[in-house]
Amino acid sequence: MSDVVVISGGVDGLVAGYLLAGGGRRVTVVLEQDLPAGTPGWVPPPVARKLGIELTVRRPDPWLRAPLPGGGALELWQDMQRSVESLRRISPHDAGKWPEFSERMARLGALLERIYVGPPPSLVDTSFALRVRRLGRRGMEDLMRTLPMPAAELLDDWFESDVLKGALGALAVADLQQGVRSAGTAFRLLHFHAGSPPGVFRAPSSNLGVLLRGRSGVTVRSGKAARIAVSAGRVTGVILDGGEELAAGTVVSDAAPGRTLLDLVEPGWLDPDLARAVGHIRSRPVAARMRLELERAPEWPTLTLAPSLDYVERAYDAVKYRRASAQPVIDAVADGAAVDVVVQYVPDETAVSLAPLEPHLPLITRQTVQYGQPHQAELALDQALWMRPLPELARYRTPIGGLWLCGQAMHPGASVAGASGYNCARAILRA
Amino acid sequence: MLKTTPFHERTSALCVSHAWRRWAGHIAASSYELSHEREYHAIRVAAALFDVSPLYKYLVRGRDAARLLDLIVTRNVQKASVGQVLYTPWCDHGGKVMDDGTVARLDETLFRMTSAEPSLRWLADNARGMAVEFTDVSDATAALSLQGPLSWAILESLGAPPLKYFRIARARLRGIDVEISRTGYTGDLGFEIWVDAARAVPLWDALMDAGRAYGIMPAGMLALDVARIEAGLMLIDVDYVPARKALIDSQLSSPYELDLAWTVNLDKERFNGRDALAAEKARGPEWQFVGVEIDWDSLESLYAEVGLATRVPGAAWRMSVPIYSGSGQAGYATSGGWSPLLKKYIALAHLRAEFATPGTQLEMEITVEHRRKRAAATVVKKPFFDPPRKRA
Amino acid sequence: MKRYDAIIVGGGHNGLACAAYLARAGRKVLVLERRERVGGAAFSDEVFPGFRFSVFSYVVSLLRPEIIRELELPRHGLQILPLESTLTPLENGDYLAQWSDHDQNRRELARHSPRDAEAYDEFGLLLHRMARAVKPLLRVTPPDPASLDPRQLLELLSLGQYFRGLPEKDLHALWKLLTMSAADYLDEWFESEALKGTKSASGIIGTLLGPRSPGTAYVLLHHYMGELDGVFRAWGFAKGGNGSVSAAMAASAQAHGAEIRTQAAVSQVIIKSGKATGVVLENGEEIHGAYVVSGADPRRTFLGLVGEKHLPDDFAASIKRYRFRGSSAKVNLALGELPRFTCMPEPGPHLRGAISISPSVDYLERAYDDAKYGEISKRPYMDIVIPSMLDPSMAPPGKHVMSIFVQYAPYHLNGGWSDARREELGDTVIDTLAQYAPNLKGAILHRQVITPADIERIVGLAEGNIFQGELSLQQMFFLRPAPAWSRYRTPIRHLYQCGSGTHPGGGVMGASGRNAALAILGDRP
Repeated sequence: MSDVVVISGGVDGLVAGYLLAGGGRRVTVVLEQDLPAGTPGWVPPPVARKLGIELTVRRPDPWLRAPLPGGGALELWQDMQRSVESLRRISPHDAGKWPEFSERMARLGALLERIYVGPPPSLVDTSFALRVRRLGRRGMEDLMRTLPMPAAELLDDWFESDVLKGALGALAVADLQQGVRSAGTAFRLLHFHAGSPPGVFRAPSSNLGVLLRGRSGVTVRSGKAARIAVSAGRVTGVILDGGEELAAGTVVSDAAPGRTLLDLVEPGWLDPDLARAVGHIRSRPVAARMRLELERAPEWPTLTLAPSLDYVERAYDAVKYRRASAQPVIDAVADGAAVDVVVQYVPDETAVSLAPLEPHLPLITRQTVQYGQPHQAELALDQALWMRPLPELARYRTPIGGLWLCGQAMHPGASVAGASGYNCARAILRA
Repeated sequence: MLKTTPFHERTSALCVSHAWRRWAGHIAASSYELSHEREYHAIRVAAALFDVSPLYKYLVRGRDAARLLDLIVTRNVQKASVGQVLYTPWCDHGGKVMDDGTVARLDETLFRMTSAEPSLRWLADNARGMAVEFTDVSDATAALSLQGPLSWAILESLGAPPLKYFRIARARLRGIDVEISRTGYTGDLGFEIWVDAARAVPLWDALMDAGRAYGIMPAGMLALDVARIEAGLMLIDVDYVPARKALIDSQLSSPYELDLAWTVNLDKERFNGRDALAAEKARGPEWQFVGVEIDWDSLESLYAEVGLATRVPGAAWRMSVPIYSGSGQAGYATSGGWSPLLKKYIALAHLRAEFATPGTQLEMEITVEHRRKRAAATVVKKPFFDPPRKRA
Repeated sequence: MKRYDAIIVGGGHNGLACAAYLARAGRKVLVLERRERVGGAAFSDEVFPGFRFSVFSYVVSLLRPEIIRELELPRHGLQILPLESTLTPLENGDYLAQWSDHDQNRRELARHSPRDAEAYDEFGLLLHRMARAVKPLLRVTPPDPASLDPRQLLELLSLGQYFRGLPEKDLHALWKLLTMSAADYLDEWFESEALKGTKSASGIIGTLLGPRSPGTAYVLLHHYMGELDGVFRAWGFAKGGNGSVSAAMAASAQAHGAEIRTQAAVSQVIIKSGKATGVVLENGEEIHGAYVVSGADPRRTFLGLVGEKHLPDDFAASIKRYRFRGSSAKVNLALGELPRFTCMPEPGPHLRGAISISPSVDYLERAYDDAKYGEISKRPYMDIVIPSMLDPSMAPPGKHVMSIFVQYAPYHLNGGWSDARREELGDTVIDTLAQYAPNLKGAILHRQVITPADIERIVGLAEGNIFQGELSLQQMFFLRPAPAWSRYRTPIRHLYQCGSGTHPGGGVMGASGRNAALAILGDRP
């Protein structure tokens, strides 16, 4: 019998499981699906440190490659100077602005990096307010202006090149049913910037999943949770698809809050008002993810097709009416001869077309498609920080005794890898 | 526009006072005659017929119907037998009363729930993941309440089956299919009759016709109000603010604070508000809902001081009236009036728990000739009037 | 030469409110108005013989009750008539009506969705609580969060304390309203498209945002703000049109000794060693005063009247960045007979309320899609009132005036505004409306079409934005109009601002004018 059963479909559950084991708990992890070799997203250093693992981080270089209308491409590199040089060829103005923009965004990004390790600050948290004040007047003004801003407006403020603005805008709205002109999307640019050097707005990936799978110290078994057993308002275990019951006083789930609380827990334990709110967590999928196996490696490590802000915005317009974008935003990252492609905005996986990408690709030998909302809760200002995914659940604890949430829907989640698992485990160990 | 009930054709012809009021979006007679006095006495000596169609009514059907209702209300629905009716409040997650009404078990898997507020959304929110369906039959089902010591005689003359207190049964009255429950809002012997709206008028006629020999009278809300105060029965929006309408927390009430501890079944493993109610029970409610009798001599002397004969309210009042203990406020009365039967000035009041023991001497504010005074008042057990015939 | 304490640039309702408050405190005040009459966008005019219109703004939305009370506006002629229903004709010939009577409203909503009818009260209660939480902010001078000034720190602290005193769930609910789109917010409550469409419409007024744009939920709150002070009936229609609001304010100011000069266009604020000392009129006349208060929008005030060379770089950059993007137009019609809406053809109480062409969220969003890329909405959102139904003196007996607020008509129209485009807009509006009220075309005696470019030209509001700048999160409270300068003061000493471009801004509210006056009186007791 275990103290803790973790329902895990991603790295967060495993991170939580190992940290709880490190805290002296007997842990069983029910792995609901296998982890891919590469774990997308920034892994905050304290997560790796606490797990005692040495991560291999992949940062594509150039991290952004956007074809120019007349041939050639804009390339932004991990190295600031190389980015400036590339920009200078298309806009001396933008090249001049890039370092300052990068530096100002990095200051705000650094604030996010700090608040992503640990439970979300509270809306009336004085220490959070003081931390914000420590940014100084310029930093505070940037923060207050930037967080609620549309990405398009932020980028228009700084730059003139459509290619640059379109590509950055596209990254800002990844996996969100909003366009670049929607308020709050500038915040997302910062979110995906966290953990990267100044001037890099694409989160890295790592071998976190592989390292976690290779560890010992917890019982990992594959299976599918069918129900979370509750008695007298407290969890008593997890019942698997086959009917087997794993008894435990603590259950941690990295599944989406809706599945955990509404599907797995029997009705009646949750406040109906809260259940309704859980049902309202926005997690609309907008992007198809494809993995392409190619004849040979492409000539680029990344490729972003989003030639202007209006292009991205128009791509978004279609999905408002549940149609596929005629000209979707496409973002591809190569890993040898395999390429991960994200096509946005599409209302389902059948509507995917790779036509715009084909001129840039060697022959495809195999492809798989996935459609879903990887963030579980769309990352928008009303579902971020103290609101993620709901204020009542933001502290990883649920109203059901012993049931905890640690998935991508939790703070910080949304492609920050392992941090929600880390924050959740720490909250459990402190409780 | 306001709605009329399926009995409107009859009630409107009888309503010589033209005194109507609103009830759940419908018009309802305040009194049929110019004064409600005779209508009140019909409740206590003969039989009074009320049109209670504006109640919200829902049919809840399905394998999980009992489970759903059990989750919603504080009483144990799963244990109710077929043909049983439960009076019950229901609470939000914080254990505060949202509404009160009845749940009738018509069948193993079929229930009718009545409520004062529309409840479809709440039913749906609670039914997540359950095998149950519910239908709003508020308009489709008409309802009459026949109350008074001769009410049974009238129904019996029409061939109704005998019924125990808080039981419901199907019946055929002069060829009209109905359901009759031995329930009501007067604290007297009484029945409620549920009928398809299309058959409403014939039912009215049948009852009025059969009742003529027994002194039946159509009665309005004013008479009902006096009777329900005598019976110690609370009224939503008057005696308590339903949780969904409370603007501030202090407006909320728990069942314990409304003298409904008997309806809270903490043995049930789960229902909305259970944890909060268990905790409240353990620490004791802050407030109690009690009966208060205003001392006649004290009242008389207040009027005598200004040279007037004692006056009592002609109809029941519904407002908040402060009640004092010494220099401090002990609580407030929310309904009150003269009981023509008991010949007493009575009120329903919310008192802080420490002042709520029967026998406690308090003072209630009354206005005598434009001046605020305090009349002596005593906490008494509810109901004020409880005839054995009610449950016999 | 006469010397004034305060010279107020612009006789719009905020300038007049500010003037009245200053005069009431014993200051010598001069209001300078460019046009022939005061009022700015709160302006009534007999546009066609016998037909009077609220030419621009057309309802008294949020006029602060304390202003009505303190300036004794009813004594100076203001009478507000209730505007209590909203009729939304639908494309299928049905309608959704929202009535002020609770039972009637519930019944009508239940016709579309029983669930919505139940949710409606709870929704109203929540917004009522939110409005109560926000209301005190309308009358404070926003402290600068980065300031080190002890007085402002104290204000910040008390503001912090105020918020910490609110229940946490209210704060979170408020945060949601500030950050969500009206459509997403309403999706959590309602299922009826017509209800969501009509409610979300209030979130897009005056902005170049659609109902699915985050930040539009907040404006929903404003509809409940007036209800808090129910007894004032702060939401309604001013007898004689919205010009009556300005006229009452002007009369109140004059009663307290303020001077008002019309046809006196200010071309420049005189600045001597970083200090405003007066103004120069377009005719060259110089008028001096101890301080100058501008009711003009931030762009006109700082980049026009002051000039960039007097401004710190950061501040000038903020003002340049400040967003206007006017998106609303107005069509005023003189009618020979009442419109007959297919869904409710007979004259009735529905014509005494608002009529909203907002059949669904998608309808509004599509209207926005056109505008987003610089086009007039092919099928625009419209908010329509028939003032002559409330105040018969607005039109000759038996005839009527109709006021149509239209969105979207983007200021930045592809190819720019011209007479032809103006008429095209007018035709689009009439054609769209005639689909719901087929007799409309034949009933029209005269028509006036006002584009955002016209609003800018006639009233002076930059880009025709009716709020003197979009009410978006990054332009609100201590960021309005620019960080560090949200306190009615400006980088130029003795120059103040009192227009809608300052907190709280927007609507015929008057709060900016009042707050500015109080800030000035605080600085210069």
